[in-house]
Amino acid sequence: MSAGSGSLPRYIGQRVLLVIPMIWVLLTLTFILLRVAPGDPVSAAVGGKLNEAALDERRAALGLDRPLIVQYLDYLGQVATLNFGKTISDNRPIVDVIRDNGGATLTLTLGAFMIALIIGIPLGLLAGRHRDSARDVVTRIFGVVTYAAPPFFTGLMFVILVAPLGWPTYDIASPMTKFTVEPVTHILLIDTLIAGNFVAFIDVLKHHVLPCFTLGLLLSGVFIRLVRVNLLMTLKGDYVEAARARGIPERYVIRRHAFRNALVPVVTVIGLQVALTLSGAVLTENTFNWPGLGTQLFKYLTARDYAAVQGIVTFFAIVVVVVSLLVDIVTAIIDPRVRY
Amino acid sequence: MIASLAACGGGESSDGNTGGGSKASGEPWILGTTDPVTAVDPAGSYDFGSWNLQYNIFEQLMTIPAGKSDPVGDAAESCDYNDPKTITCKLRSGLKFSNGDELTSSDVKFSLERNIAIADPNGSSVLLGQITDPKTKKLAEGAIETPDDTTVVFHLNAADTTFLKLLSTATTSIVDEDVFPADKLLDDSKVIGSGPFKLSQYKPGEQAVLEANSNYSGDRKAQASQIFVTYFKDPAPLKQAIQSGQVDIAWRTLSPTDLNDLEGKSGVKVIKGEGSEFRYWVFQLQNKAVKEKAVRQAVAQLIDRDAIAKDAYDGTVTPAYSIVPPGFGGQKDSFKEKYGSPNVDAAKKILQDAGVKTPVDLTLGYTPSHYGPNAVDEATELGNQLNESGLFKTKTEDAEWEEYQTLYKQGAYDLFILGWYPDILDADNYLTPFIRDGGFYANHYSNPQVNSMLDKELAETDTNARNDMIGQLQDTVAEDVPLVPSWNGKNVAVASDKMKGVEETLDPTYIFRFWMISKNG
Repeated sequence: MSAGSGSLPRYIGQRVLLVIPMIWVLLTLTFILLRVAPGDPVSAAVGGKLNEAALDERRAALGLDRPLIVQYLDYLGQVATLNFGKTISDNRPIVDVIRDNGGATLTLTLGAFMIALIIGIPLGLLAGRHRDSARDVVTRIFGVVTYAAPPFFTGLMFVILVAPLGWPTYDIASPMTKFTVEPVTHILLIDTLIAGNFVAFIDVLKHHVLPCFTLGLLLSGVFIRLVRVNLLMTLKGDYVEAARARGIPERYVIRRHAFRNALVPVVTVIGLQVALTLSGAVLTENTFNWPGLGTQLFKYLTARDYAAVQGIVTFFAIVVVVVSLLVDIVTAIIDPRVRY
Repeated sequence: MIASLAACGGGESSDGNTGGGSKASGEPWILGTTDPVTAVDPAGSYDFGSWNLQYNIFEQLMTIPAGKSDPVGDAAESCDYNDPKTITCKLRSGLKFSNGDELTSSDVKFSLERNIAIADPNGSSVLLGQITDPKTKKLAEGAIETPDDTTVVFHLNAADTTFLKLLSTATTSIVDEDVFPADKLLDDSKVIGSGPFKLSQYKPGEQAVLEANSNYSGDRKAQASQIFVTYFKDPAPLKQAIQSGQVDIAWRTLSPTDLNDLEGKSGVKVIKGEGSEFRYWVFQLQNKAVKEKAVRQAVAQLIDRDAIAKDAYDGTVTPAYSIVPPGFGGQKDSFKEKYGSPNVDAAKKILQDAGVKTPVDLTLGYTPSHYGPNAVDEATELGNQLNESGLFKTKTEDAEWEEYQTLYKQGAYDLFILGWYPDILDADNYLTPFIRDGGFYANHYSNPQVNSMLDKELAETDTNARNDMIGQLQDTVAEDVPLVPSWNGKNVAVASDKMKGVEETLDPTYIFRFWMISKNG
């Protein structure tokens, strides 16, 4: 789409329509990949206990003996009517899985984003401001290391360091908090506030610290590099040169002219990072036994639970697509140069 | 924190009552486990995690006391064989579910009938074959009679002396016919039982909260007023949680490396009880390399189980010399009797006498994703032992569990590793599934004499005579070598110093008896 060729509403309309084929492709790919992978829900559950005839009986009961095309069309039909069905391995409505576990993933990723921005933006600006200095080099190395280190490694290091201090190292809350706080929004942090239970709120907040830091560090590496490069480019801009020529002190030039403009692309990148964040969340959640969708996805993948995996992947896809769309809209609004 | 908050703990019980009413006053405690729960409804599960919740929430007709192997009455005062095909159970009087409903013989019949009728793909209705009509797959006509509210009479399809023990398993848990639907599973959070605990909260994959059931009148008296079961996906955070005191007990499953690391750490103790886990190597008899009995016998002659236990599992397992683990009626170390210690010369003679050319090429198979991280060490150790004899030339291959199951049935490996936990504590549970017509693993071993002997031992009511038959079957396995026993596992938990009763419940049943466990200060 060429710049300046259409209006924003039309662009949004096109993007919304594109979501449908995107989701269909993803559903189809997930469906095929799960069937191509060895095993099935029955062999994963009781393959080491029953003979082949008994296993076949169970497959038939689940409809797994039907031709693939029939299963595929059946599944598409269900999704088209927004019926995601039940998990095979533990008989839960998939909508319940998303509702009950989505809140934990949401607060984890939002917390991680906050930490990534808090760490990434100042360090990126610092590195760009002092290009090729020792501070720049150290910051760049820090950015590369945090981006390259897998969350399960970083998380384990945190756990080993912090566990002896009595800090919680797993789950989203203590067992008693989970028992006492009534789920209203299914976002535990908010539910503790609704319940007016400040002790529980602090408990949940404390449980967020390590996982959010782990995932946030991973993301901060991206922001450090991005902000640094943008600042360097901004500093070469004509308007910066003009400001300097007018005799404005360097610190004002950087703070008022360069910094702000260097941060505009960060908004776009936040949208692009949603997919990375969700994939990082899967690993982070498993490291901290976090009851989010990433943990559920891993569990159901291990159980070869076709219905559950398809449901969760579809939900993730919708989230990524919707966030990307929102970011595009926000970018267009805040940057008048962007046209569609 | 748990102790201080327990008094104000809320959350609605599954029976609609809120908290309270419990006679148990012990401090709450937290169990951490990696065993997932498939379903709390007894008709929908066939796995450790689900069954352990059910043992604590439901009553069965019979129960196995800690440290024992023979069942005693639970909901039943007694269950006795009238003949090898008929069992009469007499229920205790005054039985009640946690919601106050009376438990009668009708509930017992309903529980088993619905389990068979639902035949859930994740369930264990397959274990109820003796009262199932093979054609209709429903409860067999007249299989269960309930002449009065406290009497249940079972009429089995065939003589089966193990059925009494089956009545102590979670698959026969008694459910409330006024609460559970007859044709589908009940939502996990709504289950009602009559056991020592009631389910107060269930968050799938996260935690279960159990509270003492004040309507329970049996011998399994709860010590703690409240128990939290926290589910872990991975052993690493569980190890950290027990080490740092965030959970009081870690039970199933930490690796041998983790257990050794925790041994001697202050504040926790590693407790080892007798187990019934069995690990073994199966020959795929459709493969040319191991069709010859002498080849299989030579492997049995060479395997050094002590070295496997010591080097691959850091001494946390016990070498196995029979298909039936120690402690079961009729058990004998047939492989030790026949082959003695590992001996290269003896193995060489076996092969020479049979005219087998050496070295024999063998492919060993294992899976790194189902039997823990030490399976690779075991496979490597066995491969080395066979290679060092000069009689075999092995290669070791692995595959993820899902693929592995297909591959070993297709004959990709000559010798492959598998593991087993029994459904019931009876020697037959280590025989029939393994050696009748190729076993569940389809290794193409079939011996009509073995099949006939299995039928006889199942029908034999005289204990001594039955034990003799079980002994003969083990001898036959040592002679034919369709598989090679490797080791028996222990039942291991790591508990805080403050916990009592853990040691007593760690027995070969793998029932974690919450009611026996208490926490002090």
